[in-house]
Amino acid sequence: MMFLPLWLAIHVAGSDSELIGRLQRHDPQALAELYDRYGRLTYSLILRVVRDTGVAEDLVQETFMRVWNRAQGLDAQKGSIGPWLLAVARNRAIDYLRSAGGRERNALEFEETDHPSLYIDMERDILSSDKARRIKSAMERLSPNQREVIELAYFEGLSQTEMAERMGQPLGTVKTWVRAALKNLRDELGPAVPA
Amino acid sequence: MKCEELQDYYELYAMGVAGEPEGDEIRSHLSRQCEVCMAGIKRARAFTSFLGNTAPAMAPSPQLRRRILASVGFEQRRFGMAPFLGFALACALFAAFYFSGREREFATIALRLREQLGQQTVELTRLNEAFAILNGPDTTTVSFGTGQPAPPKGRVFVNPTQGVLLIASNLSPAPAGKKYEMWVIPKGGRPVPAGLFQSEADGTAMHIRRGAVDPATTGAVAVTLENEAGALEPTMPILIVAPLQ
Repeated sequence: MMFLPLWLAIHVAGSDSELIGRLQRHDPQALAELYDRYGRLTYSLILRVVRDTGVAEDLVQETFMRVWNRAQGLDAQKGSIGPWLLAVARNRAIDYLRSAGGRERNALEFEETDHPSLYIDMERDILSSDKARRIKSAMERLSPNQREVIELAYFEGLSQTEMAERMGQPLGTVKTWVRAALKNLRDELGPAVPA
Repeated sequence: MKCEELQDYYELYAMGVAGEPEGDEIRSHLSRQCEVCMAGIKRARAFTSFLGNTAPAMAPSPQLRRRILASVGFEQRRFGMAPFLGFALACALFAAFYFSGREREFATIALRLREQLGQQTVELTRLNEAFAILNGPDTTTVSFGTGQPAPPKGRVFVNPTQGVLLIASNLSPAPAGKKYEMWVIPKGGRPVPAGLFQSEADGTAMHIRRGAVDPATTGAVAVTLENEAGALEPTMPILIVAPLQ
């Protein structure tokens, strides 16, 4: 059950080029298909960030609208719509979290993370269930502090300075945890993440 | 900063949380088309997407899909009418099947009734012919079988213009492959076949030989048991003899 969204995404990945083309032509049926493939995954990610089902649904809707309006920027042949969609969803959710918490955000860096042209040639690797299992397994093997800093970075969009404040730890300690956590994950996923 | 110093920050940059000065440095390398950093950032973006899959799987409400599609002016086909349409289609198919069966049944009944009507028409015609002979003012009537223990009994009616009518009782149904044959026997002449007939289960029989017959030259009317194809000469014994003179 947990991997159903991934399973759905994997089994339809082959026709992403055609789907992107139809989204670029603003075919509403393509948006329906995109939602059927990635709707649950997108919702799961956003809910993990905002922890409110009503807000999560609103943000899912915003995410799909943003993708609908910006699909022209995606490479129809090599574009990886799933990872891009997740990046947009994460940014929407963290934007909400920051504005609700009265925090500033680094608009420049976030804008850079979900530009559609950055997402090419990564679809099959990213969304295969085997890789998803590996990342989950790798996360579970991290120490609690290492796992926490990664989750704070990814699901809450905190910088290392913000993490240090949140955790009440010296910045140097947090940087050590982040560096160690990323190294462990890289080592675990090395062959799974293409250069 | 050198690429080696930045590689620990690729993932944080891909997540938008690299901070400074590392974020600016990576941005600067990317703008210079630094191949090392471009490859590193591409790998980091893939890594970041993997992290998205670590969120616990949850399902949105079914209405969300409709909301999203409605916001781009796409009206989804809903299931609202589908069950009713399906039910109506099922009813139509059932009715077509049922009534086609009923139609076949009605056709069979109609055929049977037409056959019965045809038989009754033939029977009525025979009765009309029999009445015409019976009521003819110039009809000659002869009885037979009287005075015998259990013989076929009855009467023969001979009308010069209508023909010969035989009405009998105590005439057991002919066995399989056999039929009764009536003969008109002229005076001093050879018996002339006058038609095959079968008696009913109760032993009654009525047979008509149509056409003119001259009572004055006819000596008798007789009945024999023959093969069902009939015979040109009567086979003994003669079961019924009704002499006209």
